[in-house]
Amino acid sequence: MIAYVSVGLLALLSLSIPVGIVLFLLGFGVDTFFSPFPLIKGLGQMVWSSSNSATLIAIPFFVLLGEILVRSGVAARTYEALDRWVSWLPGGLVHANVATSTMFSAISGSSVATAATVATVAMPQAERLGYDPKLFSGAIAAGGTLGIMIPPSINLIVYGFLTQSSIPQLFLAGLLPGILLAVGFIVITVIICLVRPDLGGERRIFPLSQMLGALVHLLPIIFLFTMIIGTIYKGWATPTEAAAVGVAVAFVIAGFASGISFKMISDSLLGTIKVTSMIMLVVIGASFLNFTLSSAGIGRELKEFLEGLGLSPLAFILVVVMIYVVLGFFIETLSLMVVTIPIIVPLVVAQGYDPIWFGILMIVLIEMALITPPVGLNLYVVQGARKSGKMSDVMIGSIPFVCVMLIMAAALIAFPQLALYLPGALN
Amino acid sequence: MTDRLLTGLRALNRGVAVLIGIMLLACAGFVLLDIILRQVGSSFGGTDEVSGYVMAIATSWGMGYAMLELGHVRIDILRSRAGPKGRSLFDLASLMIMAGTVSVIALRCWPVVERSISNMSRANTALETPLWLVQLPWFAGWVWFALMAWLTFVTALLMVLQGRFDAAEAAIGVFAEEEAFQ
Repeated sequence: MIAYVSVGLLALLSLSIPVGIVLFLLGFGVDTFFSPFPLIKGLGQMVWSSSNSATLIAIPFFVLLGEILVRSGVAARTYEALDRWVSWLPGGLVHANVATSTMFSAISGSSVATAATVATVAMPQAERLGYDPKLFSGAIAAGGTLGIMIPPSINLIVYGFLTQSSIPQLFLAGLLPGILLAVGFIVITVIICLVRPDLGGERRIFPLSQMLGALVHLLPIIFLFTMIIGTIYKGWATPTEAAAVGVAVAFVIAGFASGISFKMISDSLLGTIKVTSMIMLVVIGASFLNFTLSSAGIGRELKEFLEGLGLSPLAFILVVVMIYVVLGFFIETLSLMVVTIPIIVPLVVAQGYDPIWFGILMIVLIEMALITPPVGLNLYVVQGARKSGKMSDVMIGSIPFVCVMLIMAAALIAFPQLALYLPGALN
Repeated sequence: MTDRLLTGLRALNRGVAVLIGIMLLACAGFVLLDIILRQVGSSFGGTDEVSGYVMAIATSWGMGYAMLELGHVRIDILRSRAGPKGRSLFDLASLMIMAGTVSVIALRCWPVVERSISNMSRANTALETPLWLVQLPWFAGWVWFALMAWLTFVTALLMVLQGRFDAAEAAIGVFAEEEAFQ
């Protein structure tokens, strides 16, 4: 059954059938060939129960919040403000890319939205100031991936939903690794630009008065983050409800920043529905496949398979990491996560690993998948914003950041406390 | 004719998408109000339940819009290597499989509604919502999605038969990835 699902998955995906539909088809196959009783009778109920979810409504809310902010011009002002604070470092404006991505990650649940936002405001600057396009665009593609690590995170919501883990705990667990990754991106940029100063463009030092004056432009984002995360940890709201708070605050910010028009609202809503439906088709398909696999006894089969392998837990987790790195080259990220969770997570937990910790490790690997060709959505997003130059520039520019992510994955395996300390301390 | 049909389908589904977007906004407002009410020691009760229903209905009705805007993710590895005719074969086959699968889903959703109607089931919650009341529009969304998928398939098939591969690709191809998420 494991072989059937793995081979079938790759074969159907490569035929360019929509990912969500592939998951349903695999579920039908499991039902036909491996189940003694007709599981398809449960299809309607599975579709109902996996979409009738107060948890998942956080997805459209977080997407909508991002859509509103992108259209309000807050992103451009945040970028300018951070430029004044970090452009004295070797690498100059490249650090503003990472810093802006990090801040936007703290209010956005999506990596692609984060990369798109930062790329739109940053790219014109790169050409004007003569930066090396590779490093500059690579930093945006990589910085954008933080969107799914630093809370709030749509991918962590989906992970929590499918593995029945606590979403607030997952959010807390992602915070420290997310910040460490951002620091890692900045350090690697400094190192590269010390070795090859020509890649970094001009370092600029702004007078203190300008730096302090710029702080006011960071307030909208900080306010929004405080409102979303604060209401969750104060116990006033669930992650879902906090997303609704975020939408309201985003409207207020947009109102002050640029005004709200009917067109802006309807464009934001249309973007939200499109992204949400895309995500939900995959999530519902995965829930159905989950249901057929577990009903057909995948748990027992996996256990036997594992015992047959005779790997130590560490060797096992390294194999899992390898699988994600390889699959990450070819499969779009949310799909990669959703199709592997039913198979991989039970195995990992059976080896004695913590599901919250593994969620964070998986996110690092998924982030890597976002910037590894040929299928790396952030690479395309950044290239789309550049409008000229070669796609390979972005790919090459991302390589140093992929190395940082590999180090982060290794650090998480060596020191699980990086992810588990905060959830434990605040429990 | 095919172009008019496609434009019509897109406009129709854009209207549907705006409507469910407004429903989501209303739901966000409802949740927000409840959070505020809870701070002063009161509550509507049942916001969770209502959010779940809104999500189920928004999901099923948004699928058709996402499909017409080429929003459903497809992996483009083999397809992108084919010529225009090959690509349109990939697209038509994939859309036909999608339409077929969604039809099966829609058919299998009906028994859920039927059971709720015949048992007059109510949600096991404080609101005691009659389930058919929310399941019927949810089910109708999946039927709508199946209908849209078949209509789009027929439109694209006609375009391909007329030799208009570019038009067909614009209708049912793979969205340039950089635009898919803006």
